[in-house]
Amino acid sequence: MFFRLGDFLRSFFGRRRFEREMSSELRFHMEAYTEDLVRSGVPRGEAERRARLEFGGVERVREECRQSRGLRWSDELARNVRFALRTLRRSPVFAVTAIVTLALCIGANTAIYSVVDTVLLRPLPYPEPDRLGSLVVQVRTAGGGGMQNAHTGATWEGIRDGVTSIDTVVHNNWRQGVSLVSGDQVEYVSQQRVGAGFFRVLGVSLLRGREFTAQEDVPGGAAVTVLSYPLWKRLFGEETEAIGESILLRGEPFTVVGVAPPGFQSTVPADVWTPLRPSRTGEGSGTNYEITVRLPQETSWPEAQAQIRAVGAGLLQDDKPDGVEAYFAILPLQESLTRGIRDTLLLLWGAVGAVLLIGCVNIAGLLLARVGERQHEIATRMALGGGRGAVLRQLLTEAIVLGLLGGVAGVVLGYAGLRALEILGAGQFGMWQPLAIDGRVLGVTLLTALSAAVLFGLAPAIQACRLDVRSGLTESASRSVAGGRRRWMRRAMVAGEVALVMVLLVNAGALIRSYARLQGLDPGFDSTNVMTAQVPLQDARYKTTSSVARLFNESLDRIRELPGVESAAVGLSLPFQFGFNLPFERPGVREEGRTPITNMAYVTPDYFRALRIPLVQGRLLRETDTADATKVVLVNEAFVEWYMDGDEPVGAFLKISGLERQVVGVVGDVQQMNAGAQGPLLRELPSVYMPVAQTSEGFMPLVHTWFQPSWIVRTTGPQQGLIGHIQNSVAAVDPQLPFAGFRTMDEVRGGVLAGQRFRVVLLGTLAGLALVLAAVGLYGLIANTVVERTREMGIRLALGATGSQAVRSVALPGLGLGLAGVFVGGAGAWMSASVIASLVWGVSMDDPWIFGAVAVCLMLIVSLASFLPALRVARLNPAETLRKE
Amino acid sequence: MPPELLPGTLDMLILKAVSLGPLHGYGVLLRIQQISKDLLQIEQGSLYPALYRLEHQGLIQSSWGVSENNRRAKFYRLTRAGVRRLAKETAEWERLSAAVGHVLRALPEEI
Repeated sequence: MFFRLGDFLRSFFGRRRFEREMSSELRFHMEAYTEDLVRSGVPRGEAERRARLEFGGVERVREECRQSRGLRWSDELARNVRFALRTLRRSPVFAVTAIVTLALCIGANTAIYSVVDTVLLRPLPYPEPDRLGSLVVQVRTAGGGGMQNAHTGATWEGIRDGVTSIDTVVHNNWRQGVSLVSGDQVEYVSQQRVGAGFFRVLGVSLLRGREFTAQEDVPGGAAVTVLSYPLWKRLFGEETEAIGESILLRGEPFTVVGVAPPGFQSTVPADVWTPLRPSRTGEGSGTNYEITVRLPQETSWPEAQAQIRAVGAGLLQDDKPDGVEAYFAILPLQESLTRGIRDTLLLLWGAVGAVLLIGCVNIAGLLLARVGERQHEIATRMALGGGRGAVLRQLLTEAIVLGLLGGVAGVVLGYAGLRALEILGAGQFGMWQPLAIDGRVLGVTLLTALSAAVLFGLAPAIQACRLDVRSGLTESASRSVAGGRRRWMRRAMVAGEVALVMVLLVNAGALIRSYARLQGLDPGFDSTNVMTAQVPLQDARYKTTSSVARLFNESLDRIRELPGVESAAVGLSLPFQFGFNLPFERPGVREEGRTPITNMAYVTPDYFRALRIPLVQGRLLRETDTADATKVVLVNEAFVEWYMDGDEPVGAFLKISGLERQVVGVVGDVQQMNAGAQGPLLRELPSVYMPVAQTSEGFMPLVHTWFQPSWIVRTTGPQQGLIGHIQNSVAAVDPQLPFAGFRTMDEVRGGVLAGQRFRVVLLGTLAGLALVLAAVGLYGLIANTVVERTREMGIRLALGATGSQAVRSVALPGLGLGLAGVFVGGAGAWMSASVIASLVWGVSMDDPWIFGAVAVCLMLIVSLASFLPALRVARLNPAETLRKE
Repeated sequence: MPPELLPGTLDMLILKAVSLGPLHGYGVLLRIQQISKDLLQIEQGSLYPALYRLEHQGLIQSSWGVSENNRRAKFYRLTRAGVRRLAKETAEWERLSAAVGHVLRALPEEI
């Protein structure tokens, strides 16, 4: 490889000039010699002949000249590429199989990697992102532990006042859809509430104006807002300052004080920011705040951790049960923001990696088989003086050409896959949308394709190099018998494939089982023929209990008159959704070591009839439970189980938001979304139902900050135009109320399980793809064996072997490989169990059913892939086989 | 029958031929035959790969010019590196041939 790069490149690109000059130089030589010969008396014709003869082969000389100039490499490369393309064109089935396989594998990798890259690998889009952290409470118990990253107002005040050397800010990490009015423009935008100093802590300076001051960020503070850059451009255009302008957010006037810089991404996608106004009461009495911190340069992480831990120690309850340790800590912000999706992404990343590996093994298998078929060609080339190195380079070039073709197709598929991911995973990617394939992802894809090519190209190339020229030339492909070295390599690869598929299938099986359990849970109510409509009630006109109750009653009266409507009600929350939780006390009962918390929903009396939630004990709510009547509540069975300690629930008193209320009945449980980090996604949670009219004053505006009540309409059957009728009925009472969305109860459940479905669909698809690939690989191996051993089988049959014996001898190795793969894969799946454990519920990886079912399925496919091609042996005609050469 | 060239000597001969003045490829051939008094025959085809290799190594350089019979031809001349290489190869050759000659002339009583 002795050439100088500059020379090489010059000769490569000045190629035509080089050839022209070489030709004219050689021609000059011949003509000069001819002239000399003529001058010495040789006749011209004879002179020309001698000149040509004595010069030797012109083409050979030219080739040697090119080699001397270091052109050989580029020439050989171009020739190899041309040859590879020609070979692929000649065997289109192989080419298409290999390219489609690669395109699928690389496409999946590109799509998943671009998400992994954006979400996990890239630093957050803030200056010095490694100095940013999120405040969490770490809880350790003997059996494990957990982490809580939401805090109460009291905690925030303690941290704010106690921690001096770390910049801290409090904010919400969710967004709310709100209506925005500016002049004559109306928009529905996302609002995030953040504390004073939010932009400072993130390290972002505003494009215009300023962020909120501490004076504004208190309950009752000035109504001010910061706009995102795109919103500011839409509303005011870039010319206008906009600072000091007034806009209406959900009907209330806010003064614009700042504009965020272009491209700013908050911790959740948001268009407007308003002050959080943290407090110890209301929302601040629960864990509803997130605290983000920035470490100053002079503070190291351990120092910061120590300080937070010391200050936090005074804020935690002293009466922790034995064996439970809890302390404050700082989690790197990226880790905190990606907590919900990190495991899923890593799982998928691993899965697409496995699929790619399987794809590579398949293509390597195909190439190996081709080396078998092409050993005649290769042996001929070697016999004609082609060096082993040249053959190796040519086979590798073929692999790389395949890899690049597959890679290009893969990028196209990956782009489509990413769009599908975005739709499927709507809401999963938080602040990182929109996802895009950029140069970095393309680079990684190219690298993946190339390394895949080397991976699947190397084994066959090495095999080809070991080829014995003489036997390669004399032996015909169909004459070989069992036990060749080449097949040994292919067999190991196929067994490896099956093992990888086993790992993927077990994991996918666990997810599917978990999802099926969540889907199959007894919801506790009857979800058929129920339509729900959510309406945000943050409007200034609905601050009092009586105004809300009037809206509900009047609109429900109209809805009940609609054709086909059986019953109608309004409730603060629906089954499957997050409940609003609230602390309560049982007067005279001291709870040990825990603050009792329950879900609480206000409902209209018909709520239980509309959803068909059964009454277990006592009575349901009545229209007569008005504001002036005795304060009553219903509880559910889970509440009785968790909190009543065997006491009679009906007649007991609960103190909720300052008032004592009597339990008058017990209703059945419904599935609700579990807000805690531990435990299943859906479960029966203790709940209290309160009549709308009996909620405390001040409760409505508080609860409507986060919750949108739902109108629930049960019909006798499917009703045409129901949505429009409901809309009209509510609009007849208040034409200005916007509807956030109409959904059936099945759709509500679908929304809650979206994350689970995302994982199930993706991992299921990938495992399915892997299964198909492995089956194709095994089928190919056996089919190839059949072709190679045709003659041997012919002899066996001629010597009296029965057809079924012959089939068995071909197919059984496939089953053996499958079994080996299943065992190795089973062990692998066992070891990968800890990854999946955090993503499934109600499914234990010790579950022999999943392993068993997957193993049986896999062996079934393995048998099919082994016996189908082997059956061809049974149809062999021995006489014909032996005669054919 | 002229003697076969020892391997590796062709490069040296070319360098020497070119050192006496710029030559085109055919001229190199003639010059070597002339100064070796036709004792050394060079296979014509092998001359050009050697010329290209030497140029690639930077020992000679080429330029297009006009031949004695007014034809366009490519002329080679020695570079500084070529001059150094020629001196080195000549010295080595002389040392080697002296040594070989010494051995071949050796008499029994000298041993």
